[in-house]
Amino acid sequence: MTDQRTEDEVIAIIPGMTRTRLVAFLQAEVILPIRRKTFEGNAPVFGRIDIARMQLLCDLADGLDLDDDALGVVMSLIDQLHMARRDLRVLALAVEAEAPDVRARIGAAFRNSRR
Amino acid sequence: MTTDPYTTLGLTRSATSGEIKAAYRKLVRTHHPDLHPDDAGAEARFKAIAAAYDLLKDPATRARFDAGEIDAAGAERPQRQYYRDFADAPGNPYQQGRGFGPQGDPADIFAEILRQRTRGGGADFAGQGFAAGGTDLRYTLEVPFLVAARGGELPITLPDGGSIAVKIPQGAHDGQTLRLRGKGGPGSGGGPAGDALIILTVGSHPMFRREGDDIHVTLPITIDEAVLGAKVSAPTIAGPVSLTIPTGTSSGRVMRLRGRGVARSGGRPAGDQLVELRIVLPPAIDDSLRDFMTEWRETHAHNPRADLLNEAMT
Repeated sequence: MTDQRTEDEVIAIIPGMTRTRLVAFLQAEVILPIRRKTFEGNAPVFGRIDIARMQLLCDLADGLDLDDDALGVVMSLIDQLHMARRDLRVLALAVEAEAPDVRARIGAAFRNSRR
Repeated sequence: MTTDPYTTLGLTRSATSGEIKAAYRKLVRTHHPDLHPDDAGAEARFKAIAAAYDLLKDPATRARFDAGEIDAAGAERPQRQYYRDFADAPGNPYQQGRGFGPQGDPADIFAEILRQRTRGGGADFAGQGFAAGGTDLRYTLEVPFLVAARGGELPITLPDGGSIAVKIPQGAHDGQTLRLRGKGGPGSGGGPAGDALIILTVGSHPMFRREGDDIHVTLPITIDEAVLGAKVSAPTIAGPVSLTIPTGTSSGRVMRLRGRGVARSGGRPAGDQLVELRIVLPPAIDDSLRDFMTEWRETHAHNPRADLLNEAMT
Protein backbone atom coordinates (compact mmCIF):
# COMPACT_ATOMS: atom_id res chain seq x y z
CA MET A 1 0.00 0.00 0.00
CA THR A 2 1.22 3.51 -0.67
CA ASP A 3 1.35 5.18 2.72
CA GLN A 4 -0.52 8.42 2.76
CA ARG A 5 -0.66 11.04 5.48
CA THR A 6 -3.24 13.61 6.40
CA GLU A 7 -2.53 17.30 7.01
CA ASP A 8 -2.45 16.79 10.79
CA GLU A 9 -0.01 13.89 10.49
CA VAL A 10 2.25 15.90 8.19
CA ILE A 11 2.39 18.76 10.70
CA ALA A 12 3.26 16.29 13.46
CA ILE A 13 5.93 14.38 11.51
CA ILE A 14 7.96 17.12 9.86
CA PRO A 15 10.19 19.24 12.09
CA GLY A 16 9.50 22.90 11.49
CA MET A 17 6.13 22.32 9.79
CA THR A 18 3.19 24.46 10.85
CA ARG A 19 -0.37 24.75 9.57
CA THR A 20 0.30 28.24 8.24
CA ARG A 21 3.29 26.96 6.37
CA LEU A 22 1.43 23.98 4.94
CA VAL A 23 -1.37 26.24 3.73
CA ALA A 24 1.22 28.52 2.10
CA PHE A 25 2.90 25.55 0.35
CA LEU A 26 -0.45 24.37 -1.01
CA GLN A 27 -1.44 27.89 -2.01
CA ALA A 28 1.82 28.37 -3.90
CA GLU A 29 1.36 24.92 -5.47
CA VAL A 30 4.89 23.87 -4.52
CA ILE A 31 3.16 20.90 -2.93
CA LEU A 32 0.46 19.07 -4.86
CA PRO A 33 -1.68 16.98 -2.54
CA ILE A 34 -3.36 13.78 -3.58
CA ARG A 35 -7.10 14.18 -3.82
CA ARG A 36 -9.26 11.29 -2.83
CA LYS A 37 -11.23 9.79 -5.64
CA THR A 38 -14.47 10.43 -3.84
CA PHE A 39 -14.55 13.83 -2.26
CA GLU A 40 -15.28 13.04 1.38
CA GLY A 41 -14.68 16.31 3.16
CA ASN A 42 -12.24 17.34 0.43
CA ALA A 43 -9.35 16.19 2.60
CA PRO A 44 -6.02 16.17 0.78
CA VAL A 45 -3.48 13.49 1.64
CA PHE A 46 0.27 13.34 1.08
CA GLY A 47 2.58 10.58 -0.06
CA ARG A 48 6.18 9.88 0.86
CA ILE A 49 7.52 12.03 -1.95
CA ASP A 50 5.45 14.95 -0.66
CA ILE A 51 6.75 14.46 2.89
CA ALA A 52 10.36 14.49 1.68
CA ARG A 53 9.65 17.56 -0.44
CA MET A 54 7.99 19.42 2.45
CA GLN A 55 10.96 18.58 4.64
CA LEU A 56 13.23 20.13 2.05
CA LEU A 57 10.96 23.19 1.88
CA CYS A 58 11.12 23.56 5.67
CA ASP A 59 14.92 23.20 5.55
CA LEU A 60 15.10 25.93 2.95
CA ALA A 61 12.65 28.19 4.78
CA ASP A 62 14.38 27.80 8.17
CA GLY A 63 17.95 27.21 7.12
CA LEU A 64 18.18 29.89 4.45
CA ASP A 65 15.34 32.17 5.54
CA LEU A 66 13.70 31.94 2.12
CA ASP A 67 10.25 33.47 1.80
CA ASP A 68 7.43 31.91 -0.21
CA ASP A 69 8.38 33.52 -3.51
CA ALA A 70 12.04 32.57 -3.20
CA LEU A 71 11.02 29.04 -2.19
CA GLY A 72 8.94 28.73 -5.35
CA VAL A 73 11.85 29.79 -7.51
CA VAL A 74 14.32 27.46 -5.77
CA MET A 75 11.94 24.49 -6.00
CA SER A 76 11.26 25.19 -9.64
CA LEU A 77 15.01 25.20 -10.29
CA ILE A 78 15.48 21.98 -8.33
CA ASP A 79 12.67 20.35 -10.31
CA GLN A 80 14.22 21.46 -13.56
CA LEU A 81 17.56 20.13 -12.39
CA HIS A 82 16.07 16.73 -11.67
CA MET A 83 14.32 16.70 -15.02
CA ALA A 84 17.55 17.54 -16.82
CA ARG A 85 19.45 14.93 -14.82
CA ARG A 86 16.91 12.29 -15.65
CA ASP A 87 17.01 13.12 -19.34
CA LEU A 88 20.79 13.04 -19.28
CA ARG A 89 20.82 9.67 -17.56
CA VAL A 90 18.31 8.20 -20.01
CA LEU A 91 20.42 9.53 -22.87
CA ALA A 92 23.61 8.15 -21.33
CA LEU A 93 22.00 4.73 -20.99
CA ALA A 94 20.84 4.84 -24.60
CA VAL A 95 24.28 5.89 -25.83
CA GLU A 96 25.94 3.23 -23.69
CA ALA A 97 23.92 0.58 -25.52
CA GLU A 98 25.10 1.80 -28.93
CA ALA A 99 27.99 0.49 -31.03
CA PRO A 100 31.53 1.68 -30.11
CA ASP A 101 31.84 4.03 -33.10
CA VAL A 102 28.54 5.76 -32.26
CA ARG A 103 29.65 6.11 -28.62
CA ALA A 104 32.97 7.56 -29.75
CA ARG A 105 31.33 10.15 -32.03
CA ILE A 106 28.86 11.28 -29.38
CA GLY A 107 31.59 11.30 -26.74
CA ALA A 108 33.79 13.48 -28.94
CA ALA A 109 30.96 15.95 -29.59
CA PHE A 110 30.23 16.05 -25.87
CA ARG A 111 33.84 16.72 -24.92
CA ASN A 112 34.24 19.41 -27.58
CA SER A 113 31.18 21.26 -26.28
CA ARG A 114 32.76 21.46 -22.84
CA ARG A 115 35.97 23.11 -23.93
CA MET B 1 28.01 10.60 15.94
CA THR B 2 29.66 12.17 18.92
CA THR B 3 31.88 14.71 17.23
CA ASP B 4 31.89 18.15 18.74
CA PRO B 5 29.03 20.23 17.31
CA TYR B 6 31.20 23.36 17.31
CA THR B 7 33.79 21.57 15.16
CA THR B 8 31.06 20.32 12.83
CA LEU B 9 29.88 23.87 12.23
CA GLY B 10 33.47 25.16 12.04
CA LEU B 11 33.10 27.33 15.14
CA THR B 12 34.71 27.78 18.52
CA ARG B 13 32.92 27.65 21.85
CA SER B 14 32.86 31.41 22.03
CA ALA B 15 30.66 31.72 18.92
CA THR B 16 27.64 33.99 19.23
CA SER B 17 24.16 32.73 18.32
CA GLY B 18 24.34 34.91 15.21
CA GLU B 19 27.57 33.23 14.15
CA ILE B 20 26.04 29.81 14.74
CA LYS B 21 23.09 30.63 12.51
CA ALA B 22 25.30 32.12 9.81
CA ALA B 23 27.60 29.08 9.85
CA TYR B 24 24.62 26.76 9.61
CA ARG B 25 23.11 28.63 6.67
CA LYS B 26 26.34 28.51 4.78
CA LEU B 27 26.65 24.77 5.38
CA VAL B 28 23.04 24.13 4.30
CA ARG B 29 23.87 25.74 1.01
CA THR B 30 26.96 23.61 0.45
CA HIS B 31 25.90 20.30 2.00
CA HIS B 32 22.10 19.86 1.76
CA PRO B 33 21.61 16.58 -0.16
CA ASP B 34 18.72 18.02 -2.15
CA LEU B 35 20.83 20.89 -3.35
CA HIS B 36 23.61 18.45 -4.32
CA PRO B 37 21.87 15.41 -5.76
CA ASP B 38 25.06 13.83 -7.11
CA ASP B 39 27.00 14.07 -3.86
CA ALA B 40 26.68 10.72 -2.12
CA GLY B 41 28.41 11.92 1.05
CA ALA B 42 26.17 14.95 1.47
CA GLU B 43 23.52 13.07 3.42
CA ALA B 44 25.87 12.00 6.23
CA ARG B 45 27.48 15.43 6.39
CA PHE B 46 24.17 17.28 6.43
CA LYS B 47 22.84 14.98 9.13
CA ALA B 48 25.80 15.87 11.35
CA ILE B 49 25.39 19.55 10.55
CA ALA B 50 21.67 19.54 11.30
CA ALA B 51 22.25 17.66 14.55
CA ALA B 52 24.95 20.10 15.60
CA TYR B 53 22.73 23.06 14.78
CA ASP B 54 19.75 21.55 16.61
CA LEU B 55 21.91 21.33 19.68
CA LEU B 56 23.44 24.78 19.51
CA LYS B 57 20.58 26.92 18.16
CA ASP B 58 18.66 26.74 21.42
CA PRO B 59 20.57 28.64 24.14
CA ALA B 60 19.17 26.28 26.80
CA THR B 61 20.40 23.04 25.20
CA ARG B 62 23.63 24.78 24.21
CA ALA B 63 24.25 25.73 27.84
CA ARG B 64 23.54 22.17 28.94
CA PHE B 65 25.95 20.83 26.34
CA ASP B 66 28.62 23.34 27.37
CA ALA B 67 28.14 22.28 30.98
CA GLY B 68 28.57 18.65 29.98
CA GLU B 69 25.02 17.69 30.94
CA ILE B 70 24.15 16.28 27.51
CA ASP B 71 26.46 14.90 24.86
CA ALA B 72 26.53 15.70 21.18
CA ALA B 73 24.38 12.67 20.37
CA GLY B 74 21.54 14.20 22.37
CA ALA B 75 20.17 15.90 19.31
CA GLU B 76 20.45 13.06 16.83
CA ARG B 77 17.69 13.38 14.27
CA PRO B 78 15.47 10.49 13.28
CA GLN B 79 15.99 8.80 9.93
CA ARG B 80 14.67 10.89 7.11
CA GLN B 81 14.31 10.51 3.39
CA TYR B 82 15.48 13.23 1.08
CA TYR B 83 13.52 14.55 -1.84
CA ARG B 84 16.30 13.59 -4.24
CA ASP B 85 15.56 9.94 -3.44
CA PHE B 86 12.11 10.41 -4.97
CA ALA B 87 12.84 12.90 -7.69
CA ASP B 88 13.39 10.21 -10.29
CA ALA B 89 10.50 8.00 -9.24
CA PRO B 90 8.10 7.30 -12.08
CA GLY B 91 5.06 9.53 -11.87
CA ASN B 92 6.76 12.28 -9.90
CA PRO B 93 4.01 14.90 -10.00
CA TYR B 94 6.49 17.73 -9.68
CA GLN B 95 8.10 17.06 -13.03
CA GLN B 96 5.60 18.65 -15.30
CA GLY B 97 5.63 20.07 -18.73
CA ARG B 98 7.92 17.50 -20.21
CA GLY B 99 7.56 18.41 -23.80
CA PHE B 100 8.50 15.22 -25.57
CA GLY B 101 6.07 12.48 -24.84
CA PRO B 102 5.85 8.93 -26.09
CA GLN B 103 4.08 10.05 -29.24
CA GLY B 104 5.88 11.01 -32.39
CA ASP B 105 8.94 9.75 -34.17
CA PRO B 106 11.80 8.85 -31.77
CA ALA B 107 14.27 10.22 -34.31
CA ASP B 108 12.75 13.69 -33.80
CA ILE B 109 13.25 13.78 -30.03
CA PHE B 110 16.54 15.64 -30.24
CA ALA B 111 15.21 18.18 -32.70
CA GLU B 112 12.30 18.68 -30.27
CA ILE B 113 14.70 19.30 -27.37
CA LEU B 114 16.53 21.92 -29.42
CA ARG B 115 13.26 23.59 -30.39
CA GLN B 116 12.19 23.79 -26.74
CA ARG B 117 15.38 25.52 -25.84
CA THR B 118 14.75 28.35 -28.28
CA ARG B 119 11.11 28.61 -27.31
CA GLY B 120 12.02 29.41 -23.72
CA GLY B 121 10.34 28.48 -20.48
CA GLY B 122 8.80 30.71 -17.86
CA ALA B 123 5.97 28.32 -17.19
CA ASP B 124 6.53 28.56 -13.47
CA PHE B 125 5.92 32.25 -13.15
CA ALA B 126 2.17 32.21 -13.58
CA GLY B 127 0.16 35.40 -13.59
CA GLN B 128 2.79 37.55 -15.24
CA GLY B 129 1.40 37.48 -18.72
CA PHE B 130 3.13 34.29 -19.74
CA ALA B 131 1.23 31.36 -21.12
CA ALA B 132 1.41 28.94 -18.23
CA GLY B 133 0.52 25.29 -18.27
CA GLY B 134 -2.00 24.08 -15.71
CA THR B 135 -0.87 22.13 -12.68
CA ASP B 136 -1.07 18.38 -12.49
CA LEU B 137 -3.76 17.04 -10.20
CA ARG B 138 -3.28 13.81 -8.34
CA TYR B 139 -5.91 11.27 -7.44
CA THR B 140 -5.96 7.89 -5.79
CA LEU B 141 -8.01 5.16 -7.37
CA GLU B 142 -8.87 1.86 -5.74
CA VAL B 143 -8.62 -0.86 -8.36
CA PRO B 144 -10.31 -4.23 -7.72
CA PHE B 145 -7.87 -7.13 -7.73
CA LEU B 146 -9.07 -8.77 -10.92
CA VAL B 147 -9.32 -5.51 -12.86
CA ALA B 148 -5.68 -4.80 -12.01
CA ALA B 149 -4.62 -8.30 -13.01
CA ARG B 150 -6.59 -8.45 -16.25
CA GLY B 151 -6.82 -4.80 -17.21
CA GLY B 152 -10.04 -2.87 -17.72
CA GLU B 153 -11.72 0.47 -17.35
CA LEU B 154 -12.83 2.31 -14.24
CA PRO B 155 -14.72 5.60 -13.98
CA ILE B 156 -13.21 8.40 -11.91
CA THR B 157 -15.01 11.54 -10.80
CA LEU B 158 -13.14 14.80 -11.29
CA PRO B 159 -13.47 17.78 -8.93
CA ASP B 160 -15.47 19.70 -11.53
CA GLY B 161 -18.08 16.94 -11.40
CA GLY B 162 -17.10 15.43 -14.71
CA SER B 163 -16.35 11.75 -14.99
CA ILE B 164 -13.83 9.98 -17.17
CA ALA B 165 -13.11 6.34 -17.80
CA VAL B 166 -9.57 5.44 -16.77
CA LYS B 167 -8.01 2.63 -18.72
CA ILE B 168 -6.27 0.28 -16.29
CA PRO B 169 -3.42 -1.55 -18.04
CA GLN B 170 -3.14 -5.29 -17.70
CA GLY B 171 -0.90 -6.18 -14.77
CA ALA B 172 -1.33 -2.80 -13.02
CA HIS B 173 0.41 -2.85 -9.66
CA ASP B 174 -0.05 -1.15 -6.33
CA GLY B 175 1.36 2.37 -6.32
CA GLN B 176 1.50 2.63 -10.12
CA THR B 177 0.73 6.07 -11.48
CA LEU B 178 -1.24 6.67 -14.66
CA ARG B 179 -1.02 10.00 -16.45
CA LEU B 180 -4.05 11.39 -18.23
CA ARG B 181 -2.84 14.17 -20.45
CA GLY B 182 -4.78 17.42 -20.29
CA LYS B 183 -7.10 16.30 -17.48
CA GLY B 184 -5.45 18.37 -14.76
CA GLY B 185 -5.82 22.03 -13.80
CA PRO B 186 -6.55 24.52 -16.59
CA GLY B 187 -3.67 26.53 -18.04
CA SER B 188 -3.61 30.31 -18.00
CA GLY B 189 -2.84 32.74 -20.80
CA GLY B 190 -3.51 30.10 -23.42
CA GLY B 191 -1.23 27.52 -21.82
CA PRO B 192 -2.12 23.84 -21.99
CA ALA B 193 -4.03 22.13 -19.17
CA GLY B 194 -2.06 20.03 -16.71
CA ASP B 195 -2.35 16.29 -16.42
CA ALA B 196 -4.29 14.11 -14.02
CA LEU B 197 -2.05 11.65 -12.22
CA ILE B 198 -3.94 8.62 -10.98
CA ILE B 199 -2.21 6.65 -8.25
CA LEU B 200 -3.51 3.10 -8.17
CA THR B 201 -4.08 1.10 -5.02
CA VAL B 202 -4.85 -2.50 -5.83
CA GLY B 203 -7.47 -4.17 -3.65
CA SER B 204 -7.22 -7.66 -2.25
CA HIS B 205 -9.13 -10.74 -3.34
CA PRO B 206 -10.75 -13.35 -1.08
CA MET B 207 -9.09 -16.19 -2.98
CA PHE B 208 -6.14 -14.96 -5.02
CA ARG B 209 -2.97 -13.40 -3.68
CA ARG B 210 -0.53 -11.60 -5.93
CA GLU B 211 3.24 -11.41 -5.62
CA GLY B 212 4.67 -9.48 -8.52
CA ASP B 213 3.27 -11.16 -11.58
CA ASP B 214 2.65 -14.49 -9.84
CA ILE B 215 -0.73 -15.44 -8.46
CA HIS B 216 -1.00 -17.62 -5.37
CA VAL B 217 -4.07 -19.64 -4.53
CA THR B 218 -4.81 -22.38 -2.03
CA LEU B 219 -6.82 -25.27 -3.46
CA PRO B 220 -8.61 -27.77 -1.20
CA ILE B 221 -8.49 -31.43 -2.30
CA THR B 222 -10.03 -34.58 -0.80
CA ILE B 223 -8.14 -37.45 0.81
CA ASP B 224 -8.87 -39.77 -2.07
CA GLU B 225 -7.64 -37.19 -4.60
CA ALA B 226 -4.45 -36.85 -2.55
CA VAL B 227 -3.88 -40.59 -2.34
CA LEU B 228 -5.01 -41.73 -5.76
CA GLY B 229 -4.33 -38.62 -7.81
CA ALA B 230 -7.01 -36.82 -9.81
CA LYS B 231 -7.81 -34.26 -12.42
CA VAL B 232 -9.49 -31.30 -10.76
CA SER B 233 -10.61 -27.84 -11.80
CA ALA B 234 -8.51 -24.96 -10.40
CA PRO B 235 -9.52 -21.28 -10.55
CA THR B 236 -7.18 -18.82 -12.29
CA ILE B 237 -7.62 -15.11 -12.92
CA ALA B 238 -8.70 -15.98 -16.45
CA GLY B 239 -11.16 -18.70 -15.43
CA PRO B 240 -10.96 -22.33 -14.32
CA VAL B 241 -8.31 -24.65 -15.76
CA SER B 242 -7.77 -28.35 -15.33
CA LEU B 243 -5.04 -29.40 -12.91
CA THR B 244 -3.61 -32.90 -12.48
CA ILE B 245 -2.94 -33.91 -8.90
CA PRO B 246 -0.24 -36.59 -8.77
CA THR B 247 -0.79 -39.74 -6.73
CA GLY B 248 0.44 -39.44 -3.15
CA THR B 249 0.19 -35.68 -2.79
CA SER B 250 0.73 -34.18 0.66
CA SER B 251 -0.88 -31.03 1.98
CA GLY B 252 1.25 -27.98 1.22
CA ARG B 253 2.48 -29.21 -2.13
CA VAL B 254 2.69 -26.32 -4.59
CA MET B 255 1.84 -26.85 -8.26
CA ARG B 256 3.03 -24.30 -10.78
CA LEU B 257 0.73 -23.34 -13.64
CA ARG B 258 3.17 -21.70 -15.98
CA GLY B 259 1.99 -18.52 -17.68
CA ARG B 260 -1.32 -18.48 -15.80
CA GLY B 261 -0.36 -15.48 -13.66
CA VAL B 262 -0.53 -11.80 -14.55
CA ALA B 263 0.32 -10.97 -18.15
CA ARG B 264 1.84 -7.63 -19.02
CA SER B 265 1.99 -5.73 -22.18
CA GLY B 266 5.46 -5.04 -23.53
CA GLY B 267 6.62 -8.53 -24.37
CA ARG B 268 7.40 -9.67 -20.85
CA PRO B 269 6.43 -13.26 -20.20
CA ALA B 270 3.35 -13.67 -18.04
CA GLY B 271 3.75 -14.69 -14.40
CA ASP B 272 2.77 -18.11 -13.09
CA GLN B 273 -0.02 -19.27 -10.87
CA LEU B 274 1.14 -21.20 -7.83
CA VAL B 275 -1.48 -23.55 -6.44
CA GLU B 276 -0.92 -24.77 -2.91
CA LEU B 277 -2.84 -27.98 -2.29
CA ARG B 278 -4.54 -28.55 1.02
CA ILE B 279 -6.13 -31.83 1.99
CA VAL B 280 -9.59 -31.29 3.42
CA LEU B 281 -11.49 -34.07 5.17
CA PRO B 282 -15.17 -34.63 4.45
CA PRO B 283 -17.46 -32.75 6.85
CA ALA B 284 -18.51 -36.00 8.52
CA ILE B 285 -16.25 -39.04 9.00
CA ASP B 286 -18.45 -42.01 8.18
CA ASP B 287 -18.07 -45.54 9.47
CA SER B 288 -16.38 -46.95 6.43
CA LEU B 289 -13.63 -44.32 6.51
CA ARG B 290 -13.16 -44.72 10.25
CA ASP B 291 -13.02 -48.51 9.98
CA PHE B 292 -10.54 -48.39 7.15
CA MET B 293 -8.29 -45.94 8.96
CA THR B 294 -8.41 -47.90 12.19
CA GLU B 295 -7.33 -51.02 10.40
CA TRP B 296 -4.72 -49.15 8.36
CA ARG B 297 -3.18 -47.65 11.45
CA GLU B 298 -2.76 -51.05 13.05
CA THR B 299 -0.97 -52.55 10.08
CA HIS B 300 1.08 -49.60 8.74
CA ALA B 301 3.60 -47.93 10.96
CA HIS B 302 4.58 -44.54 9.46
CA ASN B 303 5.74 -41.59 11.52
CA PRO B 304 6.30 -38.46 9.41
CA ARG B 305 7.49 -36.60 12.53
CA ALA B 306 10.37 -38.95 13.33
CA ASP B 307 13.05 -36.79 11.72
CA LEU B 308 11.53 -33.62 13.08
CA LEU B 309 11.59 -34.83 16.68
CA ASN B 310 15.14 -36.11 16.34
CA GLU B 311 16.39 -32.86 14.88
CA ALA B 312 14.62 -30.78 17.52
CA MET B 313 16.83 -32.46 20.12
CA THR B 314 20.16 -31.69 18.44
